[in-house]
Amino acid sequence: MENLTPNMKRTDASIKSAHSTESEPSLKGTFASVMMVGAFLLVSWLGVFLLFLARS
Amino acid sequence: MQAHTAQAQAAHFDRNDGKLVLAHVFVAFTALFLGGIAGLLQGMVRGGMFTLPAGIGYYQLLTAHGVLMALIFTTFFIIGFLYSGLSKTLGGKLLPSVRKMGWIGFWLMLIGTVIGVIMILLNKATVLYTFYAPLKASPLFYIALALLVVGSWISGFGVFKQYRHWKKENKGQFSPLFAFMTVTTMLMWQIATLGVAAAVLLQFIPWSFGWIDTINVMLTRTLFWYFGHPLVYFWLLPTYICWYVIIPKVIGSKIFSDALARLTFILLLMFSLPVGFHHQLMEPAIANFWKYLQVVLTFMVVVPSLITAFSMFATFELSGRAKGAKGLFGWVKTLPWKDVRFFAPFMGMLLFIPAGAGGLINASHQMNAVVHNTLWVPGHFHLSVATTVALTFFGVAYWLIPVVTGRTMQPKMHKLGIIQSLLWSVGMFIMSGAMHVVGLFGSPRRTAYTTYGDHPDAILWMPYHVVMAIGGIILFISLIVLVYNIITMLRAPKGYTEYPIAEVAETADKTPKLLERWGVWVTVAVLLVLTAYGMPVMEILNNPAPGSPGYIMW
Repeated sequence: MENLTPNMKRTDASIKSAHSTESEPSLKGTFASVMMVGAFLLVSWLGVFLLFLARS
Repeated sequence: MQAHTAQAQAAHFDRNDGKLVLAHVFVAFTALFLGGIAGLLQGMVRGGMFTLPAGIGYYQLLTAHGVLMALIFTTFFIIGFLYSGLSKTLGGKLLPSVRKMGWIGFWLMLIGTVIGVIMILLNKATVLYTFYAPLKASPLFYIALALLVVGSWISGFGVFKQYRHWKKENKGQFSPLFAFMTVTTMLMWQIATLGVAAAVLLQFIPWSFGWIDTINVMLTRTLFWYFGHPLVYFWLLPTYICWYVIIPKVIGSKIFSDALARLTFILLLMFSLPVGFHHQLMEPAIANFWKYLQVVLTFMVVVPSLITAFSMFATFELSGRAKGAKGLFGWVKTLPWKDVRFFAPFMGMLLFIPAGAGGLINASHQMNAVVHNTLWVPGHFHLSVATTVALTFFGVAYWLIPVVTGRTMQPKMHKLGIIQSLLWSVGMFIMSGAMHVVGLFGSPRRTAYTTYGDHPDAILWMPYHVVMAIGGIILFISLIVLVYNIITMLRAPKGYTEYPIAEVAETADKTPKLLERWGVWVTVAVLLVLTAYGMPVMEILNNPAPGSPGYIMW
């Protein structure tokens, strides 16, 4: 493992995957959750903005 | 077993500090209950279900509700909670002088509260909780407000003293996260309340006594909102303390990142102050540029709230993955849904998403024109302070009361607490949802029952007002369950209850020292305030509109 060059590390997907599960647990659920929160904020904002446009 | 008992006793909360905390919590919940009665009646009047007897005015109730809920419940609970955390994390007990300052602050605030409530009940202060000029209350009402603010300052100075003492004893070390966040909250509070103190001492009190004939309406409104928006963050910061420091421990996890948590609070210290103009977007006498600048700064304060959302999701997911959760959202199932210490704040977090969305809309100039002075606005702050903040405080109370009274947290309290929190969430969702929708239709806020001469638009609003009243009734049932729960907690068997304080995750990055350089951050905060407020306030002072005499409209 120590003999791998940075380049080899980047290209070897399996080692990279094993490494990430050891030291950095998956946060894909967090990513999806914050995206959903962001989408909700955006849709709400646009909804009232359209109401403003429709009334002005 | 013996070792466990010894450890438990060592972790016992200091009895004298416990009394101080309990006194604050007791006043807070008494105010909540009284304010809740006013809220229930308001909802029923507005829904056309009930007519107030004995000459009691709708706006009198509205003032009582706003003052007791937004000012008294929150301030007392927050100071009690913050002092409990200081006692727990900065040495195991408060310095005698700090405890004394806490009691002086408590009594000043309590005297202010009693005088203020008496004035409202005597119908001498029906000016709503924002006490906008030129509505003129009895001078005693403004003196009561001043006592409340000064009391909170003394409690704040106590916080700073305890913190400085700990830093001297532990040179070169980062303060515990709870204490750091408490200091940030009180620093922000001290800077923000200067505005309301100036308005009350220099304008309202002399004017209400008749020492000056007129009042500068724009100046007092501007000083109020200079304080009024940071007030929202004075409610939210302790809520975030629970989310960042308490909740990870409750769910059996660790703090995702100490540095990120401290950065969030520093950003809140800087950006929650220079933003009050987004409450005054529809007002004259403030040039558009300054409104624009403060709207930009308001959107900056969204950043720490989004960081908080990320941190919470990450804490939950890491906890779930450590327990073996699979799939994109498998970790949701691993959360302790039957633990009220988690459940109540979680419901607050969930409903903070629509509350935040509403906040972004309110702060946008054009959309503010759509919702300004409609029921949308109380719908918004009932989701933020009365749901997100209140539910988090309920979640805290369910373990804090047993901790400070040296009693056990009984298993049945989880069930009772979850029922109470669910009732509160459902009631608020129904009431606030109806307020949001009918607000978009144009139904005004701060209005007693009226059909506006049976105008067709106003008639269409009525079903929503009835739904609001139904939500209010559910909320009041939740309050009754809460009172029962508090009495049950106070009668629980003596014993040990854990004060949940989480540790930082081993994987978290090192916290930069810069984050605890208070001089830097307070200077930046003050400079931002001067930039955002200096010129427009000078303009209001140099070119004042004709002052106004007082009006008593009730």
